[in-house]
Amino acid sequence: MMTSAAHRHNKANAKPGIWAGLFGANVAVIAVLHITGALEGAAPFILYALNFTLLIPLVRTIYQRQEQQGAMSPAMRSYNRRFFSFSALYMVVMLAASGLYDKMAEGSAVVWLLAIAPALAAMGMIWAMYRYLREEADEYLRQRAVSAAMVGLGFVLVLGTGWGFLETFGLVPHIWAWWVFPAWAIGLGIGMARPERDAGDLP
Amino acid sequence: MKNRLRVLRAMREWSQQELADRLEVSRQSVNAIETGKYDPSLPLAFKIADVFGLQIEEIFLRDVAEQAAE
Repeated sequence: MMTSAAHRHNKANAKPGIWAGLFGANVAVIAVLHITGALEGAAPFILYALNFTLLIPLVRTIYQRQEQQGAMSPAMRSYNRRFFSFSALYMVVMLAASGLYDKMAEGSAVVWLLAIAPALAAMGMIWAMYRYLREEADEYLRQRAVSAAMVGLGFVLVLGTGWGFLETFGLVPHIWAWWVFPAWAIGLGIGMARPERDAGDLP
Repeated sequence: MKNRLRVLRAMREWSQQELADRLEVSRQSVNAIETGKYDPSLPLAFKIADVFGLQIEEIFLRDVAEQAAE
């Protein structure tokens, strides 16, 4: 009984939902300020990038929850390390690129490089996912990851199609296509973090 | 698919984690199989059978409705 109580107590500590909610709320607020023109130039990009620091506690609490739920494997640890490194790189590159691009000659090679750099970091995150699916020996965890990726994909496709038509009919403003990766990652997170019916670890 | 995993585990006084270690899978996998949320692959089903020293059919049970249809 002690183990069970301690288990439940630990579970109460890891609350990734709070950080995810805060992250999402910030994105929404920045997006509204951006679309309405209250924020101009590099300001919204810097705020989007700063908001990514919330992913640190979010990721940490997700790892804690994975450990508590007994859903951790060596492949998952490698994946977490790789995915987090590439997301940190993505954040830094995006912040640097959006701060620098308007100081460079329009259409120059440097601007091309700055524009492509975040996509390379995004490719790294996809590579981390690919490696995970190759390395994960636990078939149930692998199936869970695939389903979560499908949730992310569905989320992006429905959101993209929906927004596309709203935009075509002149109902919403134009948004840039780079939102797809964060949107997919949010969908993936929802897919991975969906609550499990856990019978508990008692004989 | 229904299974007797929980009962068999209780008979041996193994925790989910102990069974997971013997099967070299995560505890979450054992939980998912036990609660009928996930059906294991054949290799894993054979591994489970080996761990308990039983036949697969003695652990995993066909649904009554499925059996009746045959």
